[in-house]
Formats: sequence, structure tokens, C-alpha cells
Amino acid sequence: MATIYVCDREGAERSIQGTDGFSLMETLRAGGFEEILAICGGCASCATCHVYVDAAFLEKLSPMSLDEDDLLDASAHRRPESRLSCQIRVSDALDGLRVTIAPED
Amino acid sequence: MTLDTLEPVRLNVPTDDVDLFCDDILRYPYEAYARLREKGPVVFLTRHNIFALPRYAPVRTVLEDHETYISGKGVGLSKFGNQSRRGTPIASDPPLHTKRRGLVAERLSLRSVREITPDLQRQADVLVGTVAEQGEFDGVADFSRRFPLMVMADLIGLPQDGREHLLEWADAGFNLFGPPNERVAKSEERFPEVRDYIRSLEQPGRLRPGSMGAAIYEAAARGEIEFDQCGPLIMAYLMAGLDTTINAISAALLLFGRHPDQWDLVRENPRLIAMALNEVIRLESPIQNLRRVVTREHELEGAILEEGVSVLVMFGSANRDESRWQDADRFDVKRNPVGHLAFGMGIHNCAGQTLARAEAASLLEALARRARRIEVGEPEWHLNNVIRGLERLPVRLVA
Repeated sequence: MATIYVCDREGAERSIQGTDGFSLMETLRAGGFEEILAICGGCASCATCHVYVDAAFLEKLSPMSLDEDDLLDASAHRRPESRLSCQIRVSDALDGLRVTIAPED
Repeated sequence: MTLDTLEPVRLNVPTDDVDLFCDDILRYPYEAYARLREKGPVVFLTRHNIFALPRYAPVRTVLEDHETYISGKGVGLSKFGNQSRRGTPIASDPPLHTKRRGLVAERLSLRSVREITPDLQRQADVLVGTVAEQGEFDGVADFSRRFPLMVMADLIGLPQDGREHLLEWADAGFNLFGPPNERVAKSEERFPEVRDYIRSLEQPGRLRPGSMGAAIYEAAARGEIEFDQCGPLIMAYLMAGLDTTINAISAALLLFGRHPDQWDLVRENPRLIAMALNEVIRLESPIQNLRRVVTREHELEGAILEEGVSVLVMFGSANRDESRWQDADRFDVKRNPVGHLAFGMGIHNCAGQTLARAEAASLLEALARRARRIEVGEPEWHLNNVIRGLERLPVRLVA
């Protein structure tokens, strides 16, 4: 099981446990981070689960699809470490991952 | 031991003889779905010769594994229907699927939809204003059927003449996803009209310059798609954008009419609308069932599925699975049902969902501004082989 450290929009940080096979978006929501709206339900269509990923982990994530890239482009808050959390699959390799929930668009 | 217990060896799963596409079930499907969920994660439907997946988890597994469960051999249950959709994104696999879907992806992207959203909101406000003045109206004919038809026909760039038939053709097109039944037979009869209409679009100047339809023909001129595929692709996108959105809007009227406390919540906090729409289509998923074909023998939740067998992806049932959703049959706009499958999941997820959301949200926002109550009468269901939706819904808006 991976421990994931999450910084919410208020700047508070706490850790949650990830379950293999679930997306980071689902893990965040199950962990009580309601500000992750995930309006499209997790299929890379809405950009309401936007997070910033700790740079050290960016390389360990599956590559970004064109859809995801396009959606992030539509966000006013895109940064180099931006990802949609619905597109990140949680695994033990992500143990210690730090993410920050991006501001709302 | 009776003879009834003797079954072919491959059937190591429960069976059921329900006809999921008969009138009674189409009207009230949820008891049958609950029975299938109770029986198991994989249930062989003897009448349709297909392995049904009524629970949430296996549906999701199948949708996310497009290599084991392919669409290219047809996502419907009749041969004619499957042939008629050949090469369209919904019925193809990568790499063809990627190419075909890519042709219109930009026009359905979040960015493009944001550009037209102010227009949608203006048009929604006009429509809501009209029905509000009428007082009593048919929530389907006067409301939910109006909006997506206008939006989609304009987006695709279709000429004004002929638009009056589009809804009937879309209905027929969706019926063709069903098994060979009377509804399929009747829908097949409409096919020549649709083919003639498609051909008429090929003449220069018929599609509005700059429209999505025109862009598809331009892609053909560049050699990115075969010319004779343009018409079917345009019709596929048109259809996909009609009954689905229309019935999501009808279902929203029905559910908010029946649950005034939930309408109060939305009026107090319009930011709930996006989530509420997810809850509407979780409960009344516009597309109920589609097929996939298995490419290799494997085990799914204890069932051995051989290469070539068909599975039925039961979106509407998965979205009411008690093991996934607490109090699954309850309409709760605060639920935020992340992970619902009404738009599908994986590479075939609804390409137009951002647009559909913007349309439905524009209407609900306008309604929330004007109507304190949505009063509804007895609904009449419209029976279609795969689309769940209403034929008629008496509505009265209370200011």
C-alpha cells in the first residue's frame, strides 16, 4: 500500500493510503478531499481533478495522453507538474508521493 | 436431480431467460436488473446468447480493457445494426478508433465547448422563458427534444430542410443496437431514407462552412478518411448527441419534479448542478446496454469466457449496484457519484460529454433561476432497445 501526502487548497497537508489499481482521483475522494470534484467521473474529460505532482515522481507516472494535455491546457492554473489525478493509477511505486490540489478554474 | 440442472459445461455461471428488450422490461427495467445482480457478476442470458454483466466492478473492468473486450465486431446485438455502424468510433478498435475519434475531438473538447457555452446559456434562457410563459407544457416535446436538436444540427452544420426527421432517424438508429426484434425490423425500414439524406449532404454547400460536418468532408479531401465514411460518421455523431442528451434532460425534469427537496438544494446552490446531472444519469442512464466481444479465453469473476463470446455491458444496472452505491436507488444531488458509468469509461467514453453537460447545465441553471417548483404528472416512457427515456411528461413550472 502506498502512502500519499496531500496538500489541500487551504495549504493543510495530511496523508492517505492508496489502494492498488484505483486512480489517484478516487483515492483522494475516498480520503475525504471533496474539492476534487471529478465531474466527468474519471475519464479525462473535465479537468476538475487537477493536481500538482511532486517533481521527483513525475517520471514514475504513466505518460500523459493528448486528451489530458489538452484539458490541462484549458486550465488557467497549469504548471509543468500538472496532472489530472484520474489518469494516475495508484501502485506501490508511488509510495511517498506528494501532491497538491490545484486551484479551481 | 432434475434434467434442468444439466447445462453445457461452458456455462459455469447462473443463467436467466429474461428478454431485456421487451416492452415491459424497457419500461421498468430495474427489478430485472436487481435480480440479475443478485444472481451473480456474470449471468448468461439464454434468449440473447450473451454473458450479461449486471454489477459495477466487471462492467468497469471490461470498459477499461479494450484489448480483451473489443468493439470492432459490433457493440449491438443484431447483424444489420452492427454492419450499419461499421467504421464509426463506437464500433471500432485502435488504431482506426483513435483516428476516427480524433477527427472531431477538438470540436468537442473542453476548450471548444467553453467557447460556445455563453451561446448555449442564452438559448437555454430563451427556451426556459418560453415554457415558463406557457405554464403547462410537455417536458419532452416542448423542452428536452428542442435543445439538443438545435445545438447538434447547428454544430454539425446541417441544412434547415430535413431536420424534422432527425429525431425519428436517431431513434431508429439506437433501436438498431438491440437484438433482432420488431423494433429493429421497423428501424431497418427507415434505413433507405437515412442513406438518401446522407448522400444529399455530400453535395457542395449543403453543410455550413466551418462546421463539424464540413470539417469531416475536408478530412476526406485530405485523404484522412474515405469519402464514403463521412456520411455515416456525421450521422453517428448526430445520433450520439441527440437521444442521450435529450433523455438526460427529461430525466432531470422527472427526478427534480418528484424530489422537490433536491430541487431546493440545487436552487440554493447552483454549483451543485454539475454533480446533480451526474446523479440524474447514474439513476436513469440514457444508454442502458452495449455489447463487447471477447478476444481471448480468460476468467472474469469466476466465469470462463472463451474467445469470441459476447458480453453485455449493463451501464444502467451497474449504476444502481448496491455494492458500489449506498442506497443506490435514492436520488441525492449531494452524492457526487464519481465513477458512474453513464458516459462509459476507457477509450470509448462519450466523446461529447462535455457538450452534453454544458447543454443540460445551461437548461437547469435557467430553470433554477425561474422555477421554484417543477411539478410533473405521470410520465410515459419511450421504448427503445438501448435508450432509456421519456415519450411525454406533463410539466408545470411554479415561479
